Amino acid sequence: MTSLKTPLHAWHTGHGARMGLFGGYDMPLWYASAKDEHLAVLNHAGIFDTSHMAVVLVDGPGAVDLLQFCFTNDLTACLGPRKAPLKPGRAVYGAFLDAQGHVIDDAIVFMLTTEAFMVVVNAGMGPAVAGHLVQHGGAYAARVTDLSGQVGKMDVQGPMAARILYDVLAEPETVFDAMPYFSFKGGFTDAMPSWGAVVTRQGVPLLLSRTGYTGEFGFELFSDSEQIVVLWEAILAAGAPHGAVPCGLAARDSLRAGAGLPLSHQDIGAWPFCRHPWPFALPYRPGTQDFSKPFLGDTALQGCQGPYTYPFIGRDLRKVTLPAEVLDVNGRSIGDVLTCVTDMAIGWHEGRVFSIRSPDRPKDFRGGGLCCGFVRVADPLPLDSPLVLKDKRRRIDVRIVKDIRPDRTARQPMHTLLQPKEE
Amino acid sequence: MKELSEVNLPEDVRYTKDHEWARPKGETFQIGITDFAQDQLGDIVFVELPEIGDRFESGDEFGTVESVKAVSELFMPMGGEVVAINEALEDSPELVNTAPYTDGWMLEIKTGDSAAYDQLMDRAAYLDMLKGLEE
Repeated sequence: MTSLKTPLHAWHTGHGARMGLFGGYDMPLWYASAKDEHLAVLNHAGIFDTSHMAVVLVDGPGAVDLLQFCFTNDLTACLGPRKAPLKPGRAVYGAFLDAQGHVIDDAIVFMLTTEAFMVVVNAGMGPAVAGHLVQHGGAYAARVTDLSGQVGKMDVQGPMAARILYDVLAEPETVFDAMPYFSFKGGFTDAMPSWGAVVTRQGVPLLLSRTGYTGEFGFELFSDSEQIVVLWEAILAAGAPHGAVPCGLAARDSLRAGAGLPLSHQDIGAWPFCRHPWPFALPYRPGTQDFSKPFLGDTALQGCQGPYTYPFIGRDLRKVTLPAEVLDVNGRSIGDVLTCVTDMAIGWHEGRVFSIRSPDRPKDFRGGGLCCGFVRVADPLPLDSPLVLKDKRRRIDVRIVKDIRPDRTARQPMHTLLQPKEE
Repeated sequence: MKELSEVNLPEDVRYTKDHEWARPKGETFQIGITDFAQDQLGDIVFVELPEIGDRFESGDEFGTVESVKAVSELFMPMGGEVVAINEALEDSPELVNTAPYTDGWMLEIKTGDSAAYDQLMDRAAYLDMLKGLEE
């Protein structure tokens, strides 16, 4: 099978990227240095080609009801701690499950209008998710359109992201006004209601979303696939004075793992979507284990007995290679390792994990890197449980944690990141 | 990623199919990984080496190099006893990326079988093998 290519493929190979297959696409793994790319997103900004991701449009008078049945999050009760209904210009994370409660894919659903939604899923998953929606869509007046391969997408992530886009957008002040985490503006086809609300100085219309997959402040940019190369080069040029670098999938993986975010088909997959660190993806009524709506897979999740998924952190940056087992302190095998990478921006200091961007980090703290990821075990484990991860070569000591990389910037208010850089 | 024409392949070392190199140094041999190997691995963030005095056969795993993404084994180009390890790699594993044949050396071994060195690939043979990998 030949691999798929994004419109930026020639740019990547022309700039010395080490390429690798991901989701059927030949993608950049890193350019000069995966470590420097990871650190750039913490310190400045990183620019990622994410055109391999798939976009599915769901519209019509029954679109909400179809998504309410197929998508795990409750579109009528998901915004903020008070669980307000989703509204146009806002997005929400969740998953599509089968009747067994197993994950088909995870997704962000963007509400374009009360009757139109953009569903962003993983590389190569457009046909599967669109097919799933069509299969369950018979009773709903909704149209499902797979836009795989027609949408250009890139992510600008890191504390300098807004300042970089400020130099690229035609009317940045207007665009950035009232743009909280998980909100978006604009559109990339003239059929989208806010098309034209976000346009670059070069005239490229965008859908600009305050989302990402790094845990750090930043944006995802959607455009027509034919305009993504122009957009990419404009943003790289504007980003260079701010320390921005192009980043590959290696840094994307280590950043997302450090941010405690799952990789679909690795950390979530063909097992029940429950007892994991992402309860916000499920429609729990606040303070209860009850769901606020019925949805496909819900009965399988009620009274779910696991397996249990937890984030972990190692003692140093040494990793195990998958497949790897999880052992308890008595050496008994209790599960398997889902993800194990090194977050180069964090390190231990006197019993606490700091990031190189932690405001209260010790003087001269250099991070050094820690192994981290997710384990899946049969029975529940308390926080701080010591475990041993074992591959064919080595055993490493790790600890169950609540969260991995501290002091992430994803939710930081926009205005604080438009000011000239402190320090 | 380097083009083959950009890969540094010095004449004064011999090469293995696993992308290690060996270089005679007086009575001993110095060992490391090739420029091709470090380029394939990407950023090296940790190097795990044996202890001085450890003995290995040719082809034995003697340690690991770890990038942000993966852990890879290191294999002995020839049998022998470890007489020195590059302690600088503990704090500066990136030396393997920046200077794989010099400051990024890994081990020094004493061998009873110097003839094993002559059986390793010279530059031309290793380059031919790399060309074969590209096809």
